[in-house]
Order: sequence, then C-alpha cells, then structure tokens
Amino acid sequence: MKGPRKLIEGIGGGLVDTSRAAIELWLVYVGTIAGIIRGRRGGRPRGEIVRQMYSVGNRSVVFIIVTLGFIGMVMTYEACLQLQRVGIADYSQVGSQYIKLIVSDFGATLTGLMLATRVGAGIAAEIGSMKVTEQVDALRMSGVLPIDYLIVPRFIASVVMTNMLTTLGGTVMYAAGGLTAQYSFGVNPSLFYDLHLLRPRHLALMLIKATSYGAAIPVVAGFCGLRARGSSDGVGWATTAAVIGSSFAVIVLDFVISAGALFLFGGDL
Amino acid sequence: MKWIENVGAGAIRIAEEVGGILLLTWQVLRSFVPPRVDRQELFKNLHKMGNRSVPIVVLTAFFAGGLMTLQTGPFVKKFGAHALAGWGAGYAVLREIGPILIALMFSGRVGANNTAELATMTVTEQLDGLRALAIDPVRFLVVPRVISMMVMLVALTVIGDLVALTGASIVGRAMLDIEWATMFHSFADNLKPYDFLHGVYKSLAFGGAIAVTSCYFGVTVRGGAVGVGKAVNAAVVAAAVSIMLLDFFLTYTTG
Amino acid sequence: MQAAIRLRDVHKHYGRRDVLAGVSLDVPRGGRLGLIGPAASGKSVICKLVCGLEQPDRGEIETLGESVVGKREVQLGALRRRIGMLFQNYALFDFLSVEENVAFPLVQRGGMTPEAIAERVATRLRAVGLAGSEHKLTGELSGGMRKRVGIARATVADAELVIYDEPTAGLDPVTTQKIYDLLAADQQRTGATVLAVSSDVVALAKFVDEIAFLYHGHILYRGPAATIGDAPDPLVRQFVRGELEGPLRMEEQRA
Repeated sequence: MKGPRKLIEGIGGGLVDTSRAAIELWLVYVGTIAGIIRGRRGGRPRGEIVRQMYSVGNRSVVFIIVTLGFIGMVMTYEACLQLQRVGIADYSQVGSQYIKLIVSDFGATLTGLMLATRVGAGIAAEIGSMKVTEQVDALRMSGVLPIDYLIVPRFIASVVMTNMLTTLGGTVMYAAGGLTAQYSFGVNPSLFYDLHLLRPRHLALMLIKATSYGAAIPVVAGFCGLRARGSSDGVGWATTAAVIGSSFAVIVLDFVISAGALFLFGGDL
Repeated sequence: MKWIENVGAGAIRIAEEVGGILLLTWQVLRSFVPPRVDRQELFKNLHKMGNRSVPIVVLTAFFAGGLMTLQTGPFVKKFGAHALAGWGAGYAVLREIGPILIALMFSGRVGANNTAELATMTVTEQLDGLRALAIDPVRFLVVPRVISMMVMLVALTVIGDLVALTGASIVGRAMLDIEWATMFHSFADNLKPYDFLHGVYKSLAFGGAIAVTSCYFGVTVRGGAVGVGKAVNAAVVAAAVSIMLLDFFLTYTTG
Repeated sequence: MQAAIRLRDVHKHYGRRDVLAGVSLDVPRGGRLGLIGPAASGKSVICKLVCGLEQPDRGEIETLGESVVGKREVQLGALRRRIGMLFQNYALFDFLSVEENVAFPLVQRGGMTPEAIAERVATRLRAVGLAGSEHKLTGELSGGMRKRVGIARATVADAELVIYDEPTAGLDPVTTQKIYDLLAADQQRTGATVLAVSSDVVALAKFVDEIAFLYHGHILYRGPAATIGDAPDPLVRQFVRGELEGPLRMEEQRA
C-alpha cells in the first residue's frame, strides 16, 4: 500500500506547494499595484525608473531587432511558399494580412516572448542574487519594502518599454517581411505595404497585449527572484523558473486576450 | 566618444562569445571521434531532461495550437471557410510555431537549468576537480548533454506537434464550431509529411544550439551567485538568438 | 527594567529539521550577549527572528518592547529602523558605493538633511578606518573592509539594539581583535544592547558580558563570559576549548 499512498502524498504536496506559490505570486502582484497607486517612492534613489527603462529597453533593442527581423523574414517566406505550393501565385493579399497579424498578435507576442527570456531572466538573476546574499533582508532592516524598492520600478519600466519595443519589433518584422517577399518572390513593395485591412481595434489589441506582457514579466520574474534560497544554485533555479514562468504567462495571456477579442468581434476582427 | 567605446566593447564581447561557442562546438564534434561517451552521464541526462520538460512542452504546445486556430478565426468566421482552418493552423504549427515555441520553452527549462547546474559546478571548482583527475570536462560533461538535448528536443517536438494539432482542433470546436472531422480532413488534405519533417529536423538543430550555448555559458561563469544568474541570463538570450538565426537559414536553404 | 530582547518557547523548523525547539532568551537593555553553538545550530535564525525577518512557528518574541510575531512587513518597518544588523555575509548593496551603503539607513529613516547625513557617514567611516574609500563599489573591497562597511552601516543610525552575525568569521586574528575593539568602543559610546553571534569564542568572550550556548535547538547553557571556559556543562567546555574528546562528536558538528 506504500506506492499509492506515496503518490497521493506527492500529488497533495504538489498541490499545496502550487497553491501556496500562486498565493505568493498574487501577493507580489497586489503589492506592486498597491505600491504604484499609493505612489510610495519606497526609498528608491532618484532616477531609478529611468535606469530600469534603460536596462529593460535600450539594452534589448539589438536583441529584438535581430530576433524579430529573422522571424519576420521566415514567416513571410513560409506564407509565400505555401501559396506557391498550392498554385495560387497571387501574393497581393500577403502583405495586408501580414500587417494585420503583426499588429493584432505576433508583434506583441513575439516581443513579449523574447523579453520574457531576456528581461525575465535578468530581473530574476538580479533580485535572486540580492536575496541569497541577504541584501533583500538588509533592505527590510531599513524599513524598506522589497516590492516597492525592487519590483515597482521594474514593473513601470517594463510596461512602458514593452509597448515601445513591440512597436519597434513589429516595424522590423513588417519591413523584413516586405524585403523577403520582394527579393524571394518578386512581390512589389507597394502591393506588400498595404494597410487597408488594419483597424483601430487591432492597435488596441496590440496595446492591451503589450501592456499585459510588460506587467506580467517583472511580477513573475521578481516573484521567482524573491523566492530564491541557498546560494548560487538557488539563483540558477530562480532564473530558470523566471524564464519558464514569464514565457508561459505570455502564451496564456495571448490565448486569453485573443479568445476574448474573437468572442467580441467575431468575423470583423 | 563614450558611446563609440561602448559599441566597440560590446562588439568585442559578442565576438568573444561567438568565438567561444564555436570553439566549444568544435571540441564537442572532435570528441565524437572516436565516439566515447560516458553512458551513465548520458542516460542520466536523457532521463532528467525529458522528464523535466514534458509537462511544460505539452502545455505550451496545446496553447500554441489553439492560438493558431484563433488567428484563423476571423477569416473562418467571415467566410465560413471551415475547411481552411486546419490548413493555416496546421501549417504554421508544424513548420514554425511548434518547433520554435517548444525550443524556446526547452531552452528556458532544460537549457537554463543546465547552465545553472554547470555554472554552480564551475564556481564551486568541481570542474577543476575533474581536470585534476585528468578527466576532460568537455567529453565527460558537455558531450552527453549535447546528445541528450538534441534527442530530447526532437522527441518533444514530435509529441508537441501532436498535442498542438489536438489543441488546434479543440479550440476550433469550442470557439469556431468546426467539427472534429472537418478539422481532421483539413489537416490530412493540406499537410504533407515534409511539413512535419521540416519542423523535426529544425528542432534537431535547435537542440544542438541550445545545448552548446547553455554549456558554454555554464563553464565560463565567473563570480559566485551573481555570476550564475548572469550566466543563465546570457545563455537563454544566446539560445533565443541562435534559434531564430538557425530557423531562418534552415528555412531558406531547405524550404 | 524591561528586556531589549525576550524570546519565550520559540520553535522554528526548516523542511523536516527542527532548528529551534523551544528557545527562551532574555537580553536586558544595555546588555551584551554572545551566542555560540555548532555550525547550523540556528544562531542566525535567532538573529532574523528577533528582527521579524522570519516568523517563528510557535512562541513569543518581543524586541525593544514590541511583539514581532504575526506582524505584517509594513508594521515592522518602524521597529527595524531602531535595530542595526551586521549580516553574516555582509549583505552590502552591490549597486551602491561604500558611502551610499552606510548612508542607506539614515536616508530611509528620513528627517535628516543631506549635509547632516554626509557628515555622520564620514565620521562613521573614519571610525572604522575606511576614510578615503567612500566612492568605491563594495565589490572592490577585501573581506575585512566589507565587514567594516557592514559595521558602519549597522551602527550609523545609533540603533538601540545591534545584532552582529559572525562579525569576524574568515578574518585573521589581528583584524578580529581590531573589529572587536571597534564594536566595544561603539557600544561604550551609544550604550546599545548587543547580540553577537560567533564561533570564535575566545575573541567573543572579551567583548560580551554573558554567553549563551545553543545546541540542538535549545539554549543549553548561559553564564558569564569571563568564566565560560570553566562552565559546568562538559559539552560547553569541550566546544569552548576545542577539545577532541567529549560528548560533542564530528557528525553533530556538521548537523
């Protein structure tokens, strides 16, 4: 009887741990929002938000351009290739459908995924290192709330910068796609760069998605960092968990928001 | 003038890292001749990496499949083109979104974890311990991990593709009222075995890239807990860039 | 006169290990208590419990007349600002300079002009012999210097209670003596209550009035520091004198 009992114990223990982690994550989120609403500076040095914006934003620019540029080329290439295969050598719709897809989904989501990797891991590594070297405890000893001091500035920076980088990434994707269509399939740029399918609701969707991802990444990563235990292995674990957690958060948020939009607008989306 | 210095320093650092990664790749390849791999280490890694990443890959693949169906949603709803949903979603999933998303998740779960593990071994001087015993860390630690990650990512991509197509069908049924049979026929009529293979051999390359980058940043780490965090961060970023670059070149060269 | 620190039947476990199993401890105001015990016996845990950085499973803790059990983070801020703490691994902020590290508690407490803060910080840094290193980053300092920055930060706000967790671990004997002289001079000046944790009993005994021995989750012995070497308990005697023969065995040292 030991086997089943152990299994049940394992599942039960897992559930308890998961729900405890979920509650803690929720508390970090609530604490962050509360910190912003109350406008507590939390003893942060002047210019901390700007510094974080630099670290989240400027230092991701090359990364975003490279990754989204290449994936933009691949996506256009694949789309044209597929049309060619089925014998529809009419590429007039590719560009207008493509920009609609970029604005309503791929621009924000791929930027979000890339930032989950870069920024999520970065935040968790920083805060996790501070946690295991007791710097977080030292903050608390001076009456500082770690969430106000560490997560709030990263949260604000991330929300702003994810929107900006989404705009940048989407533009790069669009341009790279156009070049691919032109050079590999001879699509006229004026035919490709055609915005007539774009609606304000697509832009709204982009802003909602980018803002949600920008908010989720620092909260998940900060939470993982604050949970770090032990020494260097603890920081490694926290960083790993942050990459997975924030990437997964992006995918789930994308799913929920896209499903909501489809439900709301149906065929008019 | 300061920014020119910064750009130059950044370029040198990137060149150093790319060089280091290529060098490690060469060392790994050379270790295959003669093919001597520590079996125990290999099986341990295969087991660990597969076990750890199945849940997250399955979940990711499910959502990825669902998402692709959602993207065809407006079109399907507007024109009632139910038979085309499987084409769009399936093609995107098998060739691009499936392998890329699964590789990114694999990089986050297994690659990052591997970097953390090797980095911890490095900062606690365990690698020097191996060298003191005249054991080559590349042959003993890196090669089994490279093989394991390549094998496992391919296996996970195959599983993930199936889950993603299931996810696409479920979402199609739930959100767009597409019958199971319609979706299935749409997959069967429009997808070719090559689409599936295209994704699978890409994932083999992604697995190798993730493995080499994650090992590289693990064994070159400097400076305690802070260094380990930074190494993991650098590893996942490098893996993401390599995945995108490889995807581009493989798609272009092999269609 | 009320006690500065008052622990009653405090229990705390980590995982399956009961680190503290019913600890009761009083430190009078202005008193200096040294806490000794084998590695991982829970000395640091007591330090953290006293400041509310960790919560006990059971028991009462009063610090400077306020209960810290069951309090939320926000409610503990005011109390913590009255306590100075030197962490075991310094816990210096690696993103701030030496000067900013020492000024941190004063800046957070508020109510002082920047000039007054700068002056106080400069005085403290001179007292610990770090004048001239104000603008260095903490990463550039040696272990002994970091420890002194930590001491300056713990004492800069003239705290009513100062906790030193391993103030001299890993330092050479001369530096150790210098550090203890520094701590003694500071305590003379402010009359603060002191709780000091150390494994180096000989040096510690010269600094504190009383020593408590923590063993297997209990305070096993408490007595005057001067005569700790002649304590009636054989365990304490063995630990203080560093003898191989006795009730304390290797495996328990490690536990």
